[in-house]
Amino acid sequence: MFGRAVTFALVGLEPRRVEVEAHLRSGQQPTFSIVGLADRACQEAKHRVRSGVHSALLPWPDMVITVNLAPAALRKEGTGFDLAIALTLLAASDEVPAKRLAEHACIGELGLDGRIRPVVGTIAAAEGAARAGFSRLLCASDSSQEAALAGIEAVGVRHIAEAVGYLRGEDDIEPASPEQDTLPVDTRLPDLADVRGQERGRRALELAAAGSHNLLLAGPPGTGKTMLGRRLPSILPPLTQDEALEVTRIHSVSGTLRPGSGLLTTPPFRAPHHGASAAAVIGGGTVPRPGEVSLAHRGVLLLDELPEFPRSVLEALRQPLEDGVVSVARVGGRALFPARFRLVATMNLCPCGGRGDPKLECVCTPARIAAYRDKVSRALLDRFDLVVAMPRPRAEELAAGPSEPSGVVRERVVEGAGRLRAAPPRRVTAASELLDRAVDRLPLTGRGRARVARVARTVAALAGSAEVLPEHVAEALSYRSPTGLGER
Amino acid sequence: MTCRSVRRGERGYPRLLAEIPDPPGRLWVRGEASLDVLERPAVAIVGARACSGYGRTVARSMATECGTAGAVVVSGMARGIDGEAHRGALAAGGITIAVLGCGIDRDYPAAHAELSRAIVSAGGLVVSEYEPGIEPAPWRFPARNRIIAGLARATVVVEARERSGALITADFALEDGREVLAVPGEITSSLSNGTNALLRLGATPATCAADVLESLGLEQQRVVPSVPNDPAAEQVLVALATGAGTADELSRSTGLGASELAAALALLELAGAVVVDEGMVRSTIAR
Repeated sequence: MFGRAVTFALVGLEPRRVEVEAHLRSGQQPTFSIVGLADRACQEAKHRVRSGVHSALLPWPDMVITVNLAPAALRKEGTGFDLAIALTLLAASDEVPAKRLAEHACIGELGLDGRIRPVVGTIAAAEGAARAGFSRLLCASDSSQEAALAGIEAVGVRHIAEAVGYLRGEDDIEPASPEQDTLPVDTRLPDLADVRGQERGRRALELAAAGSHNLLLAGPPGTGKTMLGRRLPSILPPLTQDEALEVTRIHSVSGTLRPGSGLLTTPPFRAPHHGASAAAVIGGGTVPRPGEVSLAHRGVLLLDELPEFPRSVLEALRQPLEDGVVSVARVGGRALFPARFRLVATMNLCPCGGRGDPKLECVCTPARIAAYRDKVSRALLDRFDLVVAMPRPRAEELAAGPSEPSGVVRERVVEGAGRLRAAPPRRVTAASELLDRAVDRLPLTGRGRARVARVARTVAALAGSAEVLPEHVAEALSYRSPTGLGER
Repeated sequence: MTCRSVRRGERGYPRLLAEIPDPPGRLWVRGEASLDVLERPAVAIVGARACSGYGRTVARSMATECGTAGAVVVSGMARGIDGEAHRGALAAGGITIAVLGCGIDRDYPAAHAELSRAIVSAGGLVVSEYEPGIEPAPWRFPARNRIIAGLARATVVVEARERSGALITADFALEDGREVLAVPGEITSSLSNGTNALLRLGATPATCAADVLESLGLEQQRVVPSVPNDPAAEQVLVALATGAGTADELSRSTGLGASELAAALALLELAGAVVVDEGMVRSTIAR
């Protein structure tokens, strides 16, 4: 007796079609084995499937059972194959109609009581199913909303018995439909109105939001660098439908998506601690998983105390910063994770933190300061479009009234970002001349020149100008790297 | 690396250096320039390695003006004030001489290897009393300082703590009967303790490059930074006349928005009228 079902495995974010085949034959000793490069979690499916089928009061075939996961050369990991394995067995023993099962792709984990649990990466698997021509996907009811985002009819089931009833045609289940409301804006984000003073820092934050620039804030502790960085998400333009799908897919695969949360509509914000490993920040592992840079895709990655991060992590950041994608090569193949994020980093001006603070005296030796700054290589520093020194604000600034709230800034950002996309301002001759003069007079690399030109375009767009004028280039020059840190 | 040496008493041995109580028996020289540059009117500009932004700005602009006026700037190629003094002179297209406290073939600190190449290729010299291969050692630096003082007609101390190597240089200069100047600093900063103590002892206050050049008998070549014709930039300069400030403070005192102010600052920086360092904006024009 023979059964077959289709499910999808993930290589990185990429769904791969997996055919689950079950072969039943009579033998003296009933056995159950799974072949096809199944990892430990997948091998344990035997126990979950057996208990699940018993709990659903369905007969268990006491025969020699062989389940094959094809293609047998692809490494299978995780628990998402449970549902497909159970249904294949039931199809092989004629408990569910094989023809009807073949019309569906299945994904889900089984509980010992037969309940179907959601698994990571459901949306990516659903996209694979839709692309492979399936019109329906059987999955946990908790993840049916998520799966429906892929444009497939997602049939959510709570229990294996419910799935069997549905396949037999005894019950009908309405496929989930994705919520079609306009993308709501998260209003619980920390607001810019909390930041007193720091006009220059706020201005740089606005430019970073509108033009997707990377921002480095440097200054003594307690001047609000981190506070400012944490408020970047509150002024970002909302995600487009496509971007939201991309972001949801990554978070689904990494397991950071809450079940039932549906489409992620706010730009993500990630702030890994400086103790995080390179694999955690960049992505990787024996089974490639997206790292923090990919979880921050289309959003903000905040690296607090940049020089405290291991050198290996900082250097590995350069590739995603340049290409917007992380490529993890493994024996089993290569996984690509998108990683287009705005980087906000903070650092002190010296290891003791006293530099730049008129009230404190820096006790660092020049060699220590040099060593501290050398942890951030020139090459990485070159990738920050905006470098801003944040000195300690005077007491009177803190006593000043509340500042502009995020909502107002965000309106300007949305308008400016729209203009940058639709009709990027063009540089007038005088502005190009100013840029050339700056390259002559200042220590500005070729990459640095291109960065200044990009920032100047954002300045112009925010000002509502159709052209990049000399004053826009001038403002952009004042944020160039590494001026804010002081050249030495 | 090619280097040569000149013995005391030989032709080319700097005359001023020969006058000090304990001149080196042999002076090693790196660079193609003729040894005659060691006979030109020279000023030593020295100071703390861990200097403030103020010290850095003053050292650089003073060295630039001295270089423009034709004076040779002598210093010790250390981090901080020394490095800025060399760079300022180079920026003016001037000649500068670095005196090392280690073998002539070493660049110490290593981070200044590029600087030493720039000094040599601009017609300056790197000199040392130590033959190639000698490692830098703490006790060699005070000895090096006597050569710095000995090569210069006047020594300017820009910033120094109470027990700074720069004060040793000043002591040597006094012993040699040369002029000693000190740049006044804030009385609240420990970086000014040494220089203010020098002033109390009777050193000449160096409040502008002209003070320094006068002691060399040179005329100041007035280099007025071409201030951009921009009302916002002018406002910033007026605000800076009363002292350095952060961008946000300038924004408040001039009433300019963060964006306009940033543009004005960049134009002023390009013109050389201000320097921005660790968030502090300073005018380079001595008042």
